[in-house]
Amino acid sequence: MVQNIQIIILGLALGGVYALMASGLTLIFGVMGIVNLSHSAFMIVGAFIAFYAFTLFGIDPILSIVITMPAMFLLGIVVYKLIFARSFADPAKRSVMVLMTFALALVIEGTLGFFFSNIYRSTSPSYASDAVIVGPFFLPLGQLYAMAMSIVILLLLWAYLKYTWTGYAIRATMHNRTAAEVVGVNVDRISMLVFGIGMALAGASGSALSFVFSFYPSKHWEFVAILLSLVVLGGMGSLLGALIGALSLSVVAAFVSSNYGPTWSPVTFYLALFIILLVRPQGLLGKKSGL
Amino acid sequence: MTQIDTDLAMDAAAEPAPNISRRVFITVLIAACVLFPLLQVFVGGMNYYLHMLLFLFMNIAIASNWNIIGGYTGYISLGHNVFFAIGGYAGAILFAYFGISPFIAFPICGIVTMLLGFLIGSITLRASGPTFIISSIALVLLVRILLENWEYIGGTNGISLELVDLPVEYVKFPFYYLMLLLAVGSVAMSMAIRRSKFGLGLRAISQDEIKAEVAGVPTRRYKVLAFGLSGLFIGMAGALWGYYLTYLSPVIFLSILVGAKFVLMTILGGRGTVSGPVVGAIVFILANEFFVSQFGATELNIAATGLALVVVLLFFPEGIIGTLKEKDRLPKFLDWD
Repeated sequence: MVQNIQIIILGLALGGVYALMASGLTLIFGVMGIVNLSHSAFMIVGAFIAFYAFTLFGIDPILSIVITMPAMFLLGIVVYKLIFARSFADPAKRSVMVLMTFALALVIEGTLGFFFSNIYRSTSPSYASDAVIVGPFFLPLGQLYAMAMSIVILLLLWAYLKYTWTGYAIRATMHNRTAAEVVGVNVDRISMLVFGIGMALAGASGSALSFVFSFYPSKHWEFVAILLSLVVLGGMGSLLGALIGALSLSVVAAFVSSNYGPTWSPVTFYLALFIILLVRPQGLLGKKSGL
Repeated sequence: MTQIDTDLAMDAAAEPAPNISRRVFITVLIAACVLFPLLQVFVGGMNYYLHMLLFLFMNIAIASNWNIIGGYTGYISLGHNVFFAIGGYAGAILFAYFGISPFIAFPICGIVTMLLGFLIGSITLRASGPTFIISSIALVLLVRILLENWEYIGGTNGISLELVDLPVEYVKFPFYYLMLLLAVGSVAMSMAIRRSKFGLGLRAISQDEIKAEVAGVPTRRYKVLAFGLSGLFIGMAGALWGYYLTYLSPVIFLSILVGAKFVLMTILGGRGTVSGPVVGAIVFILANEFFVSQFGATELNIAATGLALVVVLLFFPEGIIGTLKEKDRLPKFLDWD
């Protein structure tokens, strides 16, 4: 029993981080209808920024979000302007947009790999390897802090979407793009903003990732497949769905990992994806149409 | 809708006047490829060119095969290297454990791949659009973990095969001719599908699946059929390629980059056309060879592949053949549709 609760705790802690990672992905999908396969590649970029901020300047990886988030926001705006703004206007090209993000992921992976080589890295602040013992439970501090950080950022995101006019416009666009445009929402501007926010969230995820996992440039495929699995489980474009998917699948993965070894923990996510496709292709909270 | 449908119907109905230049061109091309190894026999020193050509034939077979699901049907699979791996490992198992040479067994490997394709497709094709693409990537990662942990076939270390017992001048000959056969077969199948009612149905699906369904196209069956068929030649190519390399490991077959190159070749040439994948494969192999010789097959190759895909998608989403066709500039001998 104690061991099971321990596993659930560890699963939830990772689930919180996955939820943060998935939030940007699902936000961009909700507004632009694009599955951003380069999302995790951008996370790795964020992780590299956090890594060098830590090793060169001693900046704590949690604090490094003050660098990674704005930096990735700007990078997101540039990428959007360069690639997505023009293709987005042309409906014929929209169908190949996913491929575009795939290509972008390759470019980022190759570039990072060329300059920094594919060796394992991670930031090692003092808490990364520390743990607290509460009663019979063992709580690794790094994962705990990462989860706390994720929750704070997700709450801020939620408040932003809920209580600001821009957030209102974003939610309207997610709900129905055409109708939002009709009532006067500048959907192109919203798309650009959301792409930037999504990238900023990827940056924050990168900061968290840098001390929770070890990372190397080509690891982003594993991340993106995990994120997409849980996003599909929750329902594409649903933020709440992504959160539920993240928490539940991470717990299952933690059990798989403890029973069959860590090699099989990612398999949980991929298998879950295929099972969902078989049973309920639109996901738990997804809209039936549109996919 | 009527516009699209009549276009498609007219396309299919109006059998064009026999295209003589195309027939001559294809005949000469195949004849030249069949005769080329004679140079090795009488002149020698052609091993590099034999290697490049057989690699090219393989990629033509792969791109033409991918085109059936990715081009005609409009379902972009980024994970078709799974088929390549299945074929390769099927060949390796039959050879290493049952002593059946891949030269004989490759059709079986193709058929096994196709059957598994039907199975996989009947699951993943329940999704469309972005979710289908996601499932194709997840499939690569899943199969890779499975192969890496399957000790019977060597796990991460891979599996080694015996060399072909032929003198070094002739060792490439069987591969050369079999890959040529695969290329011709794959293109012939692509051509036959393109001109059939089945192909018409597939193209209707890629235009608008719901309307196709309403119009009486059995969309589900067609999609799964197309998905499986698009693994047939890729599986056979995998079996021969594994034997050619004499070594198979999950990394060789199941890097994301491998599947990405299948997609890039086809889109570069023009997806949904018969000659597109052929032209795409030729241009891509030449460009890639040049790039590798200049900069090495390193991380830069990944970045360059991605960059090439970005440029093609931004500026020539219809590919070489598609763009020429749009402008009515496509030479007749290259119009294989």
